Amino acid sequence: MAGEFIETTVDKFVFRVKRDCWYSPSGVWVQPEDGVGRVGVSDFLQQRSGDVAFVDVRPVGTVLAAGDEFASIETMKVDLALDSPVSGVIAVVNNELAGSPELVNEDPYGEGWLALVELSDWEAERRTLLDADQYLEMIRVQALEEMGRT
Amino acid sequence: MSDAHDREVIIIPCSGIGKALGSVGREAAYVVAEELRPGCTSTVCLSLLTLGDEETRRRVRQHPTITIDGCPKACARVNVEHAGASPAATFRVFDVFRRHKELKVRRVSDIGDAGEAMARMLAEEIADEVDELRAEKE
Amino acid sequence: MPNLPERKVGLIACSGEDLPEGTVSREAALRVLERLRPGRTVTLCLPLFLAGEERERAFARFFPTIAIDGCEKRCAARATEMYSARPAVSLVVSELRERLGLDPPKRVRGPDAAREVLALATAEAVAGEVDRLLERARAVSRAAEPVAAIIRSDGGAHGTGKEAEAVCSCASDIPVQKVDVDGRTVEVIALPLIFSQFLQEGRHPDEGATADALMEQVRIYNPVPPESDASLRGALLNAYEGFWAEAIGTGGS
Repeated sequence: MAGEFIETTVDKFVFRVKRDCWYSPSGVWVQPEDGVGRVGVSDFLQQRSGDVAFVDVRPVGTVLAAGDEFASIETMKVDLALDSPVSGVIAVVNNELAGSPELVNEDPYGEGWLALVELSDWEAERRTLLDADQYLEMIRVQALEEMGRT
Repeated sequence: MSDAHDREVIIIPCSGIGKALGSVGREAAYVVAEELRPGCTSTVCLSLLTLGDEETRRRVRQHPTITIDGCPKACARVNVEHAGASPAATFRVFDVFRRHKELKVRRVSDIGDAGEAMARMLAEEIADEVDELRAEKE
Repeated sequence: MPNLPERKVGLIACSGEDLPEGTVSREAALRVLERLRPGRTVTLCLPLFLAGEERERAFARFFPTIAIDGCEKRCAARATEMYSARPAVSLVVSELRERLGLDPPKRVRGPDAAREVLALATAEAVAGEVDRLLERARAVSRAAEPVAAIIRSDGGAHGTGKEAEAVCSCASDIPVQKVDVDGRTVEVIALPLIFSQFLQEGRHPDEGATADALMEQVRIYNPVPPESDASLRGALLNAYEGFWAEAIGTGGS
């Protein structure tokens, strides 16, 4: 869909950021949908982490405060704990990822979503997150630093 | 290049240079061809095949092939199919890692003990497949 | 005027599985990437490249690449030219070995002193080429600054009006310029900066050495089919004449 993403290119890497999501600085996105937040990892985070072999999301019914670990992903390169950008209750877990963890890499904003969270304090917490433009700039600077430039 | 080219099963790794599992797959191919099933397996240069080298294509048409891919992008399988062949079997190093996640291979240039172990496990599986393919032909 | 993104050089190794020199190409590329020129190089994955991965192909289209091939079949160089652009450098391990008088490697894997020596020599050769390509790119960037200053200082009277506005659609911020080639509008990547460099070097627009050099530089960043050579050459020279005239203020060629 034209305009759904913005992107930045560093060397041969193109990092896409979805416009209607909000981002924690660590790279977890949340897309609000009528009181529920769909959460996942950003394209930048999945590219840095490598091919996802395992995804572990805390079970349905888990009560989260913003900043609580809600999931982990394991790749050849890293074991990554993911902190929830929002407070609420885990309502749905993406069970497709058990058999197809590569969805996190292939479609991080689509079929690679991790969980749906019933939001408890969205309006206040939204202001603590980065919008797409802010996140894009952050990852651009970070990518340049990591790839050997100041 | 040598009389080794008439061996029965061709092993084609992706040799991807961007990820450590590409190096593991390459090593696994050599373990099969040089240690586990010498005399009945060989390798080909994947890029020669994809770029249309006639001798390479002849070999792949005449013998069953097994592809080894480092990651889910499956470039060895994809490139073999683009070249008009159909692998008799496909393997992914990534699947071995999923079964043995304690084996972390961090570097493309040096797969270390973990990578060697992973390559050997994969090579054993491939060797079994080679035996099955050869048995089907007899 | 946007700065040309600080340049890196792409390394694309054949990794040929069937001969030791293929392993040398791979080992050399990784050595350059990890030890000799970290932060200045990027490896391009040849199987991904061949399978159609657009990011690999786009990088090779817009940045200089060094193809490192094990043998004279030059799979990496041919693939790069076929799907992106002619590599800036094509290095063949077997030819390098003969030139240096080194022993032939014997093994595709495992300990092999001859292969290790050859891999080190190949890596050093590649690193030297990386330096040369990066220096050439820095000259292009440096040339842009004084020209931009000239343009700004007199209120833009000598500006071409074409620079600094169009950038490559790959989002890499590389400036592009459109030229008319036999009635067709063609977008040429990095052309504004190439013109700036030539101006800085005092290269007069002429059919001959300047036109040759223009084509050589343009080919680094743009695929040019052989049948378009003559037409593009004329178009580039014409565009450069206009650029030169505006910058120098002669009002015409």
